[in-house]
Amino acid sequence: QKYPLYIRSIPTENELKFHYAVHTSLDVGKEFVDQRERYLGLLYPTEDYKVYGYVTNSRVKFVIVVDSSNTELQDNEICSMFRKLHNSYTDVMCNPFYNPDDPIHSK
Amino acid sequence: MAQCLQSVQEFIQDAFVPMVAVLCSEDAEQVTRKNNLNFSELVRPFCRLTSEGHMRDPNNQIQVIKNLKIHVSNIVTQPPHLAAIRKMLSEVVSVSQPAEGLVANVITAGDYDLNISDRSVKASVPWYNSWKETLTQLNTSKSFTATTPWFEAYRETFFQSMPASDHEFLNHYLACMLVVSSNEPQPVEQFLKLSQEQHRIQHSSDYTYPKWFTPNTLKYYVLLHDISEVEEQRADSVYEDMKQRYGTQGCYLLKINSRTSAISSDEQIPDPWSQYLQKSNLQNQELYEDGTSVVMGSTNTENDVSAPEVDGIDPSVKADGVPNNFKTHPLQLDHPSDPGGSLDALDTLRNAVQITDGKKPSTVTTHGACLTLNDHDRIRQFIQEFTFRGLLPHIEKSIRQLNDQLVSRKGLSRSLFSATKKWFSGGKVPEKSIAELKNTSGLLYPPEAPELQIRKLADLCFLVQHYDLAYNCYHTAKKDFLNDQAMLYAAGALEMAAVSAFLQPGAPRPYPAHYMDTAIQTYRDVCKNMVQAERCALLSSEILKSQVKCSEAATLLIRMTSEDSDLRSALLLEQAAHCFINMRSPMVRKFAFHMILAGHRFSKAGQKRHALRCYCQAMQVYKGKGWSLAEDHINFTIGRQSFTLKQLDNAVSAFRHILINDSKQTASQQGAFLREYLYVYKNVSQLSPDDPLPQLPLPCIQSSATRVFFGHDRRLAEGQKQAATHVSLDQEFDCELSQQWKELEEQVVAVVNRGAIPVNFQPTQYCLNSQTDNLRFPLAVVQEPIIVEVVFKNPLKVPLLLTDLSLLWKFQSKDFGQLQNGDEPISNEKEAHVKATFKNEIVSTEVILEFSMSSEETKLARLKLLPHQTGELHILGVVYNLETVPSVNVVDGTDPSSGIQGEGNLVINGMSVRGRQDLEIQGPRLNNTKEEKTSVKHGPDRRLDPIITPPMPLLEVFFINFPTGLLCGEIRKAFVEFVNVSKVPLAGLKVASKHPEFFTFGSNTAALTPQSPTASENCSAYKTIVTDSTSACTALTSLVSPVDFGMGSGNSSLGVIDIPLPDSVLLPGASIQLPLWLRGPDKEGVHEIQFLFYYESPNKVSQLSHRVLRHTAVICTSRSLSVRATVCRSNTFQDEEDGRNGNMLVFVDVENINTNEAGVREFHIVQVSSSSKKWRFQKCINPSEDKDAKLTSRERGKLCFKATTCKYQEATSGAIGKYTFADIILGNEQIISATTPCADFFFRSCHSSESKKTLTNGYTSFVPARWPTDDVGKVVRKCSEIDLNIIVLWKAYVVEDNKQLILEGQLHVALQTIGKEAYSLSQKQEAQEMVLLKLIRPEQPPLPARPSVEQLSHLIKTSLHYPESYDHPFLHKSLCVVPVTLMLSNCSQAVVDVIIDLRHKAISPETLEVHGSFTWLGQTQFKLQLKAQEIHKLQLKACFIHAGVYNLGTPRVFAKLTDQGSMCETSQQNSMPALIIINNI
Repeated sequence: QKYPLYIRSIPTENELKFHYAVHTSLDVGKEFVDQRERYLGLLYPTEDYKVYGYVTNSRVKFVIVVDSSNTELQDNEICSMFRKLHNSYTDVMCNPFYNPDDPIHSK
Repeated sequence: MAQCLQSVQEFIQDAFVPMVAVLCSEDAEQVTRKNNLNFSELVRPFCRLTSEGHMRDPNNQIQVIKNLKIHVSNIVTQPPHLAAIRKMLSEVVSVSQPAEGLVANVITAGDYDLNISDRSVKASVPWYNSWKETLTQLNTSKSFTATTPWFEAYRETFFQSMPASDHEFLNHYLACMLVVSSNEPQPVEQFLKLSQEQHRIQHSSDYTYPKWFTPNTLKYYVLLHDISEVEEQRADSVYEDMKQRYGTQGCYLLKINSRTSAISSDEQIPDPWSQYLQKSNLQNQELYEDGTSVVMGSTNTENDVSAPEVDGIDPSVKADGVPNNFKTHPLQLDHPSDPGGSLDALDTLRNAVQITDGKKPSTVTTHGACLTLNDHDRIRQFIQEFTFRGLLPHIEKSIRQLNDQLVSRKGLSRSLFSATKKWFSGGKVPEKSIAELKNTSGLLYPPEAPELQIRKLADLCFLVQHYDLAYNCYHTAKKDFLNDQAMLYAAGALEMAAVSAFLQPGAPRPYPAHYMDTAIQTYRDVCKNMVQAERCALLSSEILKSQVKCSEAATLLIRMTSEDSDLRSALLLEQAAHCFINMRSPMVRKFAFHMILAGHRFSKAGQKRHALRCYCQAMQVYKGKGWSLAEDHINFTIGRQSFTLKQLDNAVSAFRHILINDSKQTASQQGAFLREYLYVYKNVSQLSPDDPLPQLPLPCIQSSATRVFFGHDRRLAEGQKQAATHVSLDQEFDCELSQQWKELEEQVVAVVNRGAIPVNFQPTQYCLNSQTDNLRFPLAVVQEPIIVEVVFKNPLKVPLLLTDLSLLWKFQSKDFGQLQNGDEPISNEKEAHVKATFKNEIVSTEVILEFSMSSEETKLARLKLLPHQTGELHILGVVYNLETVPSVNVVDGTDPSSGIQGEGNLVINGMSVRGRQDLEIQGPRLNNTKEEKTSVKHGPDRRLDPIITPPMPLLEVFFINFPTGLLCGEIRKAFVEFVNVSKVPLAGLKVASKHPEFFTFGSNTAALTPQSPTASENCSAYKTIVTDSTSACTALTSLVSPVDFGMGSGNSSLGVIDIPLPDSVLLPGASIQLPLWLRGPDKEGVHEIQFLFYYESPNKVSQLSHRVLRHTAVICTSRSLSVRATVCRSNTFQDEEDGRNGNMLVFVDVENINTNEAGVREFHIVQVSSSSKKWRFQKCINPSEDKDAKLTSRERGKLCFKATTCKYQEATSGAIGKYTFADIILGNEQIISATTPCADFFFRSCHSSESKKTLTNGYTSFVPARWPTDDVGKVVRKCSEIDLNIIVLWKAYVVEDNKQLILEGQLHVALQTIGKEAYSLSQKQEAQEMVLLKLIRPEQPPLPARPSVEQLSHLIKTSLHYPESYDHPFLHKSLCVVPVTLMLSNCSQAVVDVIIDLRHKAISPETLEVHGSFTWLGQTQFKLQLKAQEIHKLQLKACFIHAGVYNLGTPRVFAKLTDQGSMCETSQQNSMPALIIINNI
């Protein structure tokens, strides 16, 4: 619900900002929770970034922040990225050694 | 959304009020000055009208005006300066701090409980406490009920300081009060003068600034009458005169100062001014500072961010006025036209400011000291009179006038304008841009332009709350302005249209939010007028909030944040954050985020307290949720802000949080955090050097992993000596192993205490850790070191350096001999401040000078204490200097830590702070009772509280020539050295082991064994006697009691062996060497053999009754020989003369199963000895003559011996229980098996195997108890039982390093039953069987009741004695009768009935055929009774009729135990065929 399970940002120099952005966008995600569609679309456009959201049936939220100047990434690509994320998340959950709500570590 | 004091409607109404100017004569000023007030201040508290006013609108409708407020201020001829406004605003905000004593405003949003008001912040943030004092100093007089009072204060000040602008008339002066005192000589002249002055200000071109609403401003003449000075008649007469001149509606006589300030000053009169004047005080203070200091902002650090921005920002304002003249600021209320008195005023102000420098409300000057409550009423009445008689009619008139004008001009003007516009505008685009340019730079319309008239009308209507009409007018005006592309005007109209639409009673139309948006956008983007835009946004957001459109309001507010004003941005962001949390579904995270942004802007604006508050509030959301990066950032900022606000404790704890947290920061960042933390810390500790040492957060101590070790430094090895392994800190704790040691110790203690373990027995623990039992206080011995191993973990990615690391302790001296307790507990906490000078007389403390930890390292520190007195020691914690490691990559010599400027120049290589960390160990969780199971309770852990006991002996053990590899059964001699290294004699030395069969110290008979280890090099471990070979084959016997070897005596427990010390006491410093024989265990493989040396002090006074020393020997054994032996009864009766029947044949099968072919060349069996209570070897009846049996690899040899019963079993009664050893020598020297190593090991292995047996099948021991039913089996079994042990002694020739070594060894075989094979290596199989048995039938005791037929058949031994061949002349005598003796021997111990049947069995024809040829003569059936061990001879006669070979073994013997009537007789085992040859002569 409230804990970050896994956070990773590729340009590491400004990580703090991303964390704030992701955390904040969780609020926006809440509004969309009632709807059927799992892909929430663009949540939160800021000047520099676009924040996309995705929510699973178990109310786990994925948030992707991309550079807003990056125009190649259309909704479709983002959507498929989320699908992949969701699949790997499911894989993690299937791991019998994983305790739910633990932070996820990636190798 | 912060809750505000006012409702939205009130707020908007108050934002736009009719402005009234005041022109005051000097004398009038003097009158008011008595009250420390000027005129406008004097009336200000009464400017809100309590009664309703009425007015007629142009349509003659009556309009009710409620709750009208007017604003009275002195005329100021210059527009306000932007910088001053800014400074004032920031001052207002920083003064207004969260108030104390508010009801906590808890908002529960989803999973968060947020405490927005500040007391709750305090509760949740522990370091908040020191805020309290600072806060209570602030704001004692004001009571805020709003949660963001600073914002409201800001808003109010902002609206008041709005400069009047040309595009609207709302804050233009509607009227002017001319005030003259009654004590003036010519009041009427004065009125005239003032009137002219006003006219000059309004109409001459000298003054552009104060804007006037209408050309003919309402002038209201006020005669101020000071009752205390001037008599009333004069005032009245002047007033009459005025009434004549200006009409009753235009003038007023105000009487004040009805009491002199001297009298009755103690009377309490409410002071309505303080509220208003505090603000103006502040404002004046600002002005004063600005005015006197030439360089702007240099004196006030808080403003220096915003001050430089002044010039570039607001060109429209700057264009309007002369910026640098501060004298005529509208808020400079005291001396509008009195430059001469201003200096004095400034001085008094300065004093006031100096007194109230702490930003406290000024309580020094009381206001209204000369005013009574009557005077208050008079003033209130005056304002009311003014408003209703003067102002409202004037407004009404103006409205009417304007309306008429407009109506008459409407159609014409609009068409005209649009037509001309169309006409002239060729291209749209350039026209627009020109219009914009005009708009932004200056006026488009002249003041009397018709478009402005409608706006003026609208504003008037708005001011008198006629919102309906106002809206219509604004709407019309908006259209006009838009048509003309007059954007500034249009924006203003839009804004006001929206506001009035909102304010319309009954709300006929929805609030046009888009009007506002457009207005804001226009203000901001087109007109570049941020002030207007801000006002617009404030209004709009307030309205939106009132309509619960929080997200819109928030967006609006956020959009207004910009780079130019940090203060505004901060406040707006904060409001936006509040909006988020007040939404229907509160957006907590957005709240937090915007709070952080606001805090950031606050800190940029220099509002440190507000910044800190914002961060603290945001912290509530982020805390403990795993957003570690964000949390760290907030903590860091909180720490910094607290530090700059001198709240050092808060700063420390905030930084501490960063460092403790499992952080994701980069190394450099962590390094910065650490340095900052240490720096702050240093400041804290410098402030209070006498405080107890602070607790440091770094590095983390894993307190449960702390180990405590009691032990001295031992010599490990000296030459060939090898010290006992004992216990050391380097060993891993093994629970199983420690349990084994404990058992061993219990065994010894039980032996020492005659079989019982004392109640207070406590197994000795040398090394305490989390797994050991730490419930009791551990015992340490005085003068012996205590080593504490502390596990430090550096969680950071930067290296840490600890210097002067040592333990902190507390010591209670106690002499255990006497009862009186020692004095005060002594501690080294005090000395810990000073580095490394600890007192040595009580407990010496070792100091580790440098202990460096690299990044993220876990490292152990071993800290030593050496107690010098007995008592109770408590180890409290560790004390050290925490330092950063100076980074290596400093090239230019500038110190990395110099970024933080400190007074302390001493610190060169990085920060260093001395502090402590306590070691608190939680005991194991209790789980015994139900209560303990349901709650979480922890037991005590006394690891760190050792009791120092009086001196005890201390033993060191060394092994000399101790082997590591042995053959199975090999005997090796080694030496042990015992050293007493203490100052106390040592006694009662014992050793315990689980494997007593492995070693022996020799027995009492071992006096002859050589003592020196050097002689044992190639010599045999055995005691030997060279024999002549003639006596071979016959046994040499000796009789030995097992008691001599420490065995068999009932009380000595298994495996506890006394060590034969010469005087049974080892004196201090003495050492002794004792021989030790070892025998390789019978199983191959690696054996760990544990020795537990037990010793005690000869005088038992201390609490420590004994001490132990542990040793673990590791022995690797390899296979040597395997011995199988069987025994069978000899059928011959050679020893008949004794009347006994003991004769056995023992077959010994020896196989070389050694696999190490390279090493061991061959085995020689040099001797075979028997050892038994009943039996002994008599001689070797080996068929082969090769006596020295050699066995090379994989060879097998067979030996055969004859054994007889011992002769002296009955002869010497003392020999009962003794063992007879009989040696059969196969080599050329006899090994006396009855002496030390051999017999020792023999007995030990017997003992252990027996004990194993009783352990595994313990039921056998129960059999005697059930004798009556079981005696049959017992007796029957007994007769086939023998108890013969064979010792096979061998020598092995081993080649090792091109040297031939002779190894010796012995193997034991225990023969128990006739006919059953016994093995030397069979223990393993047996054990397995037993385990299986146990598993299958755990309950049922096996039934020995029915001895098997096979066993029963061994009861009687029979043999036939007859001549082997018998010559008989058949020719002479056809019948040949041969006498045959049948010997019957009862093998059992009971009386046996025997039936002998000589008749041939006539069942099978075969036998008839074969045996039918001879018959037994005489009695063919006998019935006998044989007593125990009795031999009976029976004379029989066999009769033959032919010559030939006959088998005489036909008699069938049946036997049964006499007293077992129920049993039938059992056929006894037949002896071998007894052939007889009958020769015919």
